[in-house]
Amino acid sequence: MKNLDVTRRSTLKLLATGAGVLAAPSIIRPAFAQSKVVNITTYDKFVPQSFIDQFQKDTGIEVRIRLTDDQGKQYNLLTAEGAAPSTDIVTVTGHRLSQFMKSNLLASLDTARLKNWDKLAAAYKGAPQLTVDGKTFGVPLLAGFEGLVRNTEYAKASDSWSIMFDDENKNLTSYIVSDFLSIVMRYQGNDGDYVTYGDKPDVAQTATNQARDFLIQHKDKVRKYYDAGSELQQMFVNEDIYLAQAWSGPAAKLVMDGHPIEISVPKEGTFGFLYSFNVVNNAPNADAAYTFLDAILSSPEIGAAMTRQSGFSSAFEGVDKVLDDKERAALALPPEQVERIQFFSSVNRDMKNDMIDKATAEIKAA
Amino acid sequence: MLDTTTQPGPVGLSTAPHYAGWIGRAANSGLYRNTIGLLVDSRRVRLAVLAGVPLLWIAMLHIGPILQMANISLLANYPPQPDKSSEYTLANYGLFFSDRLYFLPFVRSLVFAAVVTISTLVIVYPVAYYVAKVVQPKNRMRALLLLLIPFWAGELIRTFSVIMLLANRGALNVLLREFGFIDRPIPMLYTFFSLSFGVIYLLALYMLLPLYSAIEKIPTPLIQAAADLGAGPFQRFRRVILPLSKDGIVSGCSLVYLTAVGVFAAPLLLGGPNSVIFPEVIATLFHGSNDKWPEGAAFSMIMLVVSLTTVGLFMRIVGGRSVRLM
Repeated sequence: MKNLDVTRRSTLKLLATGAGVLAAPSIIRPAFAQSKVVNITTYDKFVPQSFIDQFQKDTGIEVRIRLTDDQGKQYNLLTAEGAAPSTDIVTVTGHRLSQFMKSNLLASLDTARLKNWDKLAAAYKGAPQLTVDGKTFGVPLLAGFEGLVRNTEYAKASDSWSIMFDDENKNLTSYIVSDFLSIVMRYQGNDGDYVTYGDKPDVAQTATNQARDFLIQHKDKVRKYYDAGSELQQMFVNEDIYLAQAWSGPAAKLVMDGHPIEISVPKEGTFGFLYSFNVVNNAPNADAAYTFLDAILSSPEIGAAMTRQSGFSSAFEGVDKVLDDKERAALALPPEQVERIQFFSSVNRDMKNDMIDKATAEIKAA
Repeated sequence: MLDTTTQPGPVGLSTAPHYAGWIGRAANSGLYRNTIGLLVDSRRVRLAVLAGVPLLWIAMLHIGPILQMANISLLANYPPQPDKSSEYTLANYGLFFSDRLYFLPFVRSLVFAAVVTISTLVIVYPVAYYVAKVVQPKNRMRALLLLLIPFWAGELIRTFSVIMLLANRGALNVLLREFGFIDRPIPMLYTFFSLSFGVIYLLALYMLLPLYSAIEKIPTPLIQAAADLGAGPFQRFRRVILPLSKDGIVSGCSLVYLTAVGVFAAPLLLGGPNSVIFPEVIATLFHGSNDKWPEGAAFSMIMLVVSLTTVGLFMRIVGGRSVRLM
């Protein structure tokens, strides 16, 4: 301590640093709120880098991407930030929209500000998943479904989810427990989306328990429960699994890349979902967000690039014509299989979430 | 901007440079002069200023989040909902004790951490001894550096390297197949083996450094004297080396245990369906479909208290009063 060399300069530096630290929150927040910036929370590989580069060059607006791999994380972040969000656009799936809206996290979309709105495919312009009280929430981007995925070299073909529980496939399957529970409920003849259980919690609990017990009984078929699409891709490439329940995007991506993978919709059916870009309530850069959304809708090439990267089908008109034969084949499903896809509903989500979360924990702990 | 022209200043500071602008005004203010005067005159003030920054750092970035977590764990709802007021409750803690669903992964986590700690000690001890006592002093730093290099890579990268090693088409299976030892790949990944292997690999550094530090301090003449008096290798180890490296063992075990209890990414990536441990359960509560932050926070607090208590008892019983973590 005796040799401590205290000078004016060092003291002023110390004071200035302290002031800087104390002022940090008021510096950080405006950093998100700049007219030439748009902050986007989205999944990996949803927005093509070539588009970002071109958009930044054309508009001078800097695109800042924050990656997420889960709807819950986005929801938690937005809720925690409250009225002062640090993001302008989030990526929401249609059936989770009601949860975001209940917490007043999203702004309805002024479609008149999007001159390219008409470039959406007709089926998605007024998509019911994105319409609440006549207001539109979100620009539809990509559509997918939960499919049965198999390695065509090692696993035999099947048109039923029952193959996932075949003794032949012991230690060779994988799924996302919470997602697969809904499918198993459907496989067992119950309502895996809980739409009809609004006033029948006992029936819902019985159906959930039935699926839970079935999955515990067949736990020996599972190599690993996974969470992210990249994990699933890695397990297929490494041949650690031969069969899985998976989102169509990561599986189609494997097909496009030439791996011996097939995705199908079994006869018992499955669930579909729609991803959209939504403007956040009190978005710090709402104008830049609209400019971004309009630009992304501007051409089918951008939609095709998003499809190529993510493996999900595009909601933009004319993308089919831009994709090559191999890419189209990876995304194509026979018409009878398309008919088996039922889009997730936003009805009775609280009950569904509660019961599915509990059952998921029970299956994992068993 | 600094004006370097010499100007007459106050007594005692006449040689100090003169600053222009706001910095100059601040430098000439009474507050600044009094502060500097206090700093120059008082050792206690200097100590307070110096200790203030790290204490503030610890309070804001270490203790603050834990207190916030404790606060959330007592709330009925979090994040706050627009139409709901915040109420305090103990129900989130009650959930842990009322449902064995959460208890099993909790016990599994503690047992897993204990097994990993003991295994890491057994594996790393000879390595630390070799570097500290067998390697020539001039080469010790190089040897230590070689052991440390893998830890410069991030946790995730090292976890993925374990996946690349143990997968069905990973390096080990390919090698075994190439040499004709196996026809079909051995499923090593997504098992307790891969999980333990990965976590031991990830945490070995926390054991290595305290052990190396403790063993290196053991005077070599003591070991030689024991040998001269007829003690065999095992007796030398049991009667001389082990007791004298106790501090390193206790510190290393405590660090590895505490980290292993809370390890999250590795079990998620390397574990199988039967190796779900408590941090994953906590993470699911935070990231699940419904908001369960309070329950997740309560479970985190339980985990924190239990693991710290376990380590505290271990340090007290095995290490006595003198042992510190580092």
